[in-house]
Amino acid sequence: MKLRHIIAISKKELTQLKRDPRLIALIVMMPILMLLLFGFALKLEPKNVKMAYVDNDKSYFSNLIKTSLWSDGYFQLYEVNSKAKIIEEIRANKASAGLYISKDFSRELTDNAQPTVEFFVDGTMPSLTTAMKSNSDAINNSGVMGNMYFLDEDAENVIIADEPFIKETTVLFNPEEKETWFFLPGVIGVLIMQIALILTGTSIVREKEKHTLEQILVSPLSKIELVLGKILPYIVISLIDFYFILGLGWLIFELPDISSHLYLFALALIYVSVMISLGLLISIISQTQQQAMFIAIFIIIPSILLSGFIFPLEAIPEYIRPVSYIIPFTYFTEIIRSLLIKQTNITDLLPHFAVLLGFCMLFIGLSIQKFKSNI
Amino acid sequence: MIYNESANMIRDKKETTMISTKELSKTYGKKVVVNRLNLTVKKGEIYGLLGPNGAGKTTVMKMLATLLEPSSGEVEIMGIDAKKEVFKIRGKIGYVSQYFGLYEELSVRENIEFYASLYNANEPTKITNLIKKYDLERFETTMAKELSGGTQRRLSLVCALTHEPKLLFLDEPTAGVDPVTRKELWDNFFELRENGVTIIVSTHYMEEALRCDKLVFMSRGDIVANDSVENIMKLLDNNHIFSLVSHEMASLSRKLKNNPNILFTNQFGDELRIVAEKSLDLEAIKKLLKFDDVKISKASLEEVFIALTRDRK
Repeated sequence: MKLRHIIAISKKELTQLKRDPRLIALIVMMPILMLLLFGFALKLEPKNVKMAYVDNDKSYFSNLIKTSLWSDGYFQLYEVNSKAKIIEEIRANKASAGLYISKDFSRELTDNAQPTVEFFVDGTMPSLTTAMKSNSDAINNSGVMGNMYFLDEDAENVIIADEPFIKETTVLFNPEEKETWFFLPGVIGVLIMQIALILTGTSIVREKEKHTLEQILVSPLSKIELVLGKILPYIVISLIDFYFILGLGWLIFELPDISSHLYLFALALIYVSVMISLGLLISIISQTQQQAMFIAIFIIIPSILLSGFIFPLEAIPEYIRPVSYIIPFTYFTEIIRSLLIKQTNITDLLPHFAVLLGFCMLFIGLSIQKFKSNI
Repeated sequence: MIYNESANMIRDKKETTMISTKELSKTYGKKVVVNRLNLTVKKGEIYGLLGPNGAGKTTVMKMLATLLEPSSGEVEIMGIDAKKEVFKIRGKIGYVSQYFGLYEELSVRENIEFYASLYNANEPTKITNLIKKYDLERFETTMAKELSGGTQRRLSLVCALTHEPKLLFLDEPTAGVDPVTRKELWDNFFELRENGVTIIVSTHYMEEALRCDKLVFMSRGDIVANDSVENIMKLLDNNHIFSLVSHEMASLSRKLKNNPNILFTNQFGDELRIVAEKSLDLEAIKKLLKFDDVKISKASLEEVFIALTRDRK
């Protein structure tokens, strides 16, 4: 073994790398992005969690409860008109928690009858569920409990209960807070993303490298024919993969039954198409397979971290959150969890479907535009 | 009657002119890769693009095959404007890239079938006939990556012929193949020419260029000659070509160095060939070299090419 030989090979590798500015940019950008994400963006403690509430009492006491929930910035309250609506809002992903105060609350409170305040929390994301439950305990503190009475100097022998009201919490949709129910649907999306981006991400660029593209381009094949011909087989393969992984999930981890197989298929088809067309776009803009792989990784990692797959979207700071909304996986995660765990009404998911479809059209359009019919 | 004759003449001209370029150029920024190429290729001709690596042959080939958009100038392929009707042209031409352009994971037949399907020419009998004709039968199920370089070249040619194009572009089709395979490939090209196929072939092999009907000499993007092989070979008629055999090349070459009447010398083993001005006759060169056994020779294509391009280095 000669050191000179090793140095010669290493020097050649470095020179090759130096001549690939896109790859260098990715190598530099990746750690910066990861560092910033983990340093600033990713927090396990959510903020501004949406809470739908019904306050039929509208008293000093009910206000005290709402203010205590609002004041530390954890919950962001908005009013709805019924208990059913609270559940509906959570099911439709418009709220993550709910609060119901009955109209007899203050009367029962003054009667020392220990009224109940009802809390509802979404059980889809167990880490968020735990955090919401613990943060709703704000109403149990002495500042709230200790003020649940009027000072009536004329009254005699007023007995105030240690616990003037009872907080009753209901975990919706995933009462057992099963982590697998939360993770598995997202894992399907991650796997499809990886398979699709890597399969198609190298498809065109491989043809560029092997010079077969030149031979195809000289034929009367149109850009659209080539792009569609390229993505169709991968869409079918990825769809099969999607159901295979989901099937395993049902078989091994007893995932809940799906509310609509038709909508699930629509989701699978659209999501797979989005990922395949994104992979194709990567392949078209890349000069080498190595570049394509790096770009794919560059997309996969932020998608996993910023989509709500692991960290709740509410835990991502407001200034980073727009990034979450330009990640297709964010919409997939929300739809599949809603379909599998919450049995959400399809009309509430239509905007998400529309965004995914938009991504698909955008990526196919860009692929066709960026793809040169000459070289 | 006169009108009809003129019309026929125009039609004939259109039919027989397969390629016509006018001031065709390609530039990348300030770099001129092809500089004002004027070319007329007639039906049934084998037109060679000759030049060293980087001369611009492949760029010309790609512009003519609609793979590369020209920066300026005009180009008509079979009477069709190549800038406007790219897809119409693509259906009518065949192209073999210098990199084979084969799918390594597909078998010989699968490769042919695939390319044929792009031209709606995927007829099994026709494909079988092509496989037989080009002696690929025994490799029919062999993966392209397992073929020898020569067979891969032959397969590339077959892939480009599935739709029976009348115009065929061959970009260095024999690069890296052995002389026997090269001869076989050229036999194929000649047969195609006999069947009315026009061939544009780029090469940097001089002996191959001699097999062409017409040649374009390219050097650093410029067209230094564009004529029939016969006429190009006459370009050094106004010079003297001397030939001698000696074991003392170094001392002989030294004597010729810096002589303004010597254009250049070319050495082949023990043979030294001298291209000189006409003013330097046989006796004068013998005297200059102090060497009697010098003969007058005929210019080779390589010498013509060097003479035309040497000042550009």
